[in-house]
Amino acid sequence: MKNLHHFSATELRDAFLKGKVKAVEIARHFLDRIERHGDVKAFLSTFGERALQKAEALDRKREKKLPVGKLAAIPVALKDNMHLSGEITTCGSQFLKNYRAPFDATAVRLIEEHDGLILGKTNLDEFAMGSSTENSSFFPTHNPWDLKCVPGGSSGGSAAAVAARLCLLATGSDTGGSIRQPAGLCGVVGYKPTYGRVSRYGLVAFGSSWDQIGPLAPTVADAALAMEVMGRHCEHDATSLDLPPESYSLPKDLKEVKIGIPRKFLESLQPEISKNYFAAIETMKSLGAKTIDVDLDILKHSIATYYILATAEASTNLARFDGIRYGIRSAKAKTLDQVYEYSRQIGFGREVKKRIMLGTYVLSAGYQDAFYKKAQKVRTLMIDAFEKAFSDCDAIIFPVAPTGAFESGTITDPVAMYLQDCFTIPANIAGLPAVSVPSGFDSRRMPLGIQIYGPQLCDVSVLQYAHAYEQASRHARIPPRYEA
Amino acid sequence: MKDLPYELWETVVGLEIHLQLNTKSKLFSSAPNQFGDEPNTNISVVCTGQPGALPVLNREAVKKAVQFGLAVKGKITLISRFDRKSYFYPDSPRNFQITQFDHPIIRDGSVVADVEGVSKTFTIERAHLEDDAGMLKHFSTFAGVDYNRAGTPLIEIVSTPCMHSAKEASAYAQAIRAIALYLDISDGNMEEGSLRIDVNVSVRPKGDKKLRPRIEIKNMNSFSFLEMAIESEVKRQIALYMANPNVPVEELIPPGTYRWDPETKETILMRRKESADDYRYFPEPDLPPVVLSQSFLDEIAAHLPELPHDRFKRYVTDLGLTEYAASVLINEKQLCDYFEAALKLCSSPRPLCNWVMVEFTGRLKESGKTVTTSGILPEHVAELVRMIDTHKITGRIAKSVADEMVSNPGLSPEEIVKQNPDYQPVADLSEIEPLVDRVLAENPQSIADFKAGRDKAFAFLVGQVMKLTRGKASPQIVNDLLRKKIQ
Repeated sequence: MKNLHHFSATELRDAFLKGKVKAVEIARHFLDRIERHGDVKAFLSTFGERALQKAEALDRKREKKLPVGKLAAIPVALKDNMHLSGEITTCGSQFLKNYRAPFDATAVRLIEEHDGLILGKTNLDEFAMGSSTENSSFFPTHNPWDLKCVPGGSSGGSAAAVAARLCLLATGSDTGGSIRQPAGLCGVVGYKPTYGRVSRYGLVAFGSSWDQIGPLAPTVADAALAMEVMGRHCEHDATSLDLPPESYSLPKDLKEVKIGIPRKFLESLQPEISKNYFAAIETMKSLGAKTIDVDLDILKHSIATYYILATAEASTNLARFDGIRYGIRSAKAKTLDQVYEYSRQIGFGREVKKRIMLGTYVLSAGYQDAFYKKAQKVRTLMIDAFEKAFSDCDAIIFPVAPTGAFESGTITDPVAMYLQDCFTIPANIAGLPAVSVPSGFDSRRMPLGIQIYGPQLCDVSVLQYAHAYEQASRHARIPPRYEA
Repeated sequence: MKDLPYELWETVVGLEIHLQLNTKSKLFSSAPNQFGDEPNTNISVVCTGQPGALPVLNREAVKKAVQFGLAVKGKITLISRFDRKSYFYPDSPRNFQITQFDHPIIRDGSVVADVEGVSKTFTIERAHLEDDAGMLKHFSTFAGVDYNRAGTPLIEIVSTPCMHSAKEASAYAQAIRAIALYLDISDGNMEEGSLRIDVNVSVRPKGDKKLRPRIEIKNMNSFSFLEMAIESEVKRQIALYMANPNVPVEELIPPGTYRWDPETKETILMRRKESADDYRYFPEPDLPPVVLSQSFLDEIAAHLPELPHDRFKRYVTDLGLTEYAASVLINEKQLCDYFEAALKLCSSPRPLCNWVMVEFTGRLKESGKTVTTSGILPEHVAELVRMIDTHKITGRIAKSVADEMVSNPGLSPEEIVKQNPDYQPVADLSEIEPLVDRVLAENPQSIADFKAGRDKAFAFLVGQVMKLTRGKASPQIVNDLLRKKIQ
């Protein structure tokens, strides 16, 4: 039998169900890999004991022929901004380095109930604010394709962990591309569901109307399997869609599927990215897809819109970190105001402080109309533009990012960093389902990806199209140094 | 200070009333909504603002807010929305409150209240749902926060500046409280903070159209303090304007927040409002808009109970109670319910009202009880009145029976009379007749006076007979006998 980490999540689960491999072997194998491949720095914490116990229980269940969950024996990592009850949730921040989660995030609970083996929690940009995982207050994570390069972010730990096959499924959260961009930069599949499809309960909020939990995995089928488990209505999240869970069957062609190309919006793509993008379109056409140009020019305002609205929400979501109830409290503080000021001063990193200040500013009296309210109107216009575009097509294709993975420390201009998300933010603006699928490599042999966007609620179709493309193109690889 | 020319000034008052709703659970979580328990026992991850916790709206609170809106004849907003109101304070678990800023659930209501015998209509600008904060507790070396109250559903009821005296403000606030109690949407307990009043006060020369600067007095927790605070603040403002006619009014009364000190009987400045607070309101992204259907409203409207003012009108018009008695009754929900229970068994509302509000209340005063907590059943009070009506006992004996009802609550007046022969009326003519004869024989002048048309003389004769029977004779029988014998 091939190496356990050469399986996809679905394949490994099937091997376990057929009795070809024990859950304990799987747990040991991947825990061992995490330890051996510490150079990626993907994990903030691991739960060896917990995972082994779960694996043993699962083996007993299987031996007794008791029913097991859909994720049985799949090694899973959680982005460290969602709660696993009793374990620390750091959010990549010094502020929460001592914060023990008092409850399970709904998505995490569902993974546990479906017998996923939770191995640990992965690194991220502090409070999910960043596109390179360089903003983690603990350490940066490296790209398994080239350790000098960033894995993208903010779910960089999850993407790197899956790419290096330290686990076969990881959760991410996507506010402006935080699942899809690192997935693209690490050469794995990353899926952001329709807003409301996966409960946000237990996910530490960044931008509440933008955040969505989703899976990162080696294959589209794995992501779809994870969605069958996580995509459920949750009574603890008022924005959770009250719809029955979907079943994801994945056909192999794109016959009669109309693909939208936002040609004008993509005008200034780098040649390498452009070439890769249109090659992917050709593959889809070869599978029977028809193409059509769609006008989404207004999306050129998406980064500005995002950095006003998401930071506005973030400035209030992060107000609760005040040193009073949990997290760190400055020992120097003598007065109430000092508790607030000093604790936040030492607890938050630069990027987080910057975004809190930006968000506070755009909501302030005298500025709210010019910034927050205007951006809301622009968001509405963009939603309308998508609605119009989707009246002509079934899916819209974007690159994942303007470049492949860049070297750590090379992007210092914040705006240049923010531009990393220019093709991913639009999905969050309109709450659309969007998947990032490997589409080849750049000249440095760093992975590239394309994205498939669908209309709201069309989660199943988006993954079906992605599966067909993935099966035809087969660009996914394991980085050479992690093959063995 | 010499007397101020109050008659030249007009008081302008607006109230913001925070009313806690008596829902089972909190506004945005399933934690119990309960007062008085050990600190931090009725809490959830939502009430303590844990990261990752999300608010989910309590439908019962929405229903109660709608009941209130319909009761004050307000417009119910079919699509209302929640907003975040940002400020840092330890009692605020997320450092933002979830409230309704520009789309409140209720607009434009009105309330009728009786102000010293005159019915006045007061207008409500808006009422919105929001969550209450926790409470700070100060100890000798530190402070703690109790989050039991955090997340308790409130409706904040904002009046227009439509009140022009302390009495009006108090009458309006009492009317709001009575409505809340009748709807059973709040316990209205002011001592426990279930109903808290912020009052905005300004004065202006009579006839002026323009409002002068107002100040806010926070957290009034009794109606009498409310009245005193307004009166004292009005006096302070008029005195300031009178003493400084040439100083711009904005300088004399700069906006500020005050509290009422019941010891010194003065309003005390807590903080100046240098600039308007910037709460950075924006729509709460964790909560979808609250969408209500007309059928939901119709359903609630169809089941509204009789409201205090309707009851007031019924008492005055149909039952003939005085406006004073009617307004005291309706504002005391328990007393009023007691009266209603007795009224079902009694056809003399005015005497019944007197027995409930005056006779029994007076007898119970020393024990610290009220008729509603005394154990005396309303049906027994009704029975007592009925016994007087049917001449089974005289008014005088009734008072003695009432004494015994107070000392033996639960015992019916029929029972009390049965056990005590002294209370049983003398209806036997053979017993009364000799006494009538005796009185007539002793008072020839009165007989003459009566024949000359002086009714008082007759009453005197009746009184004399009653005296001899020690009040036990049926006055009707004595009357009849006297008349027969004189003619």
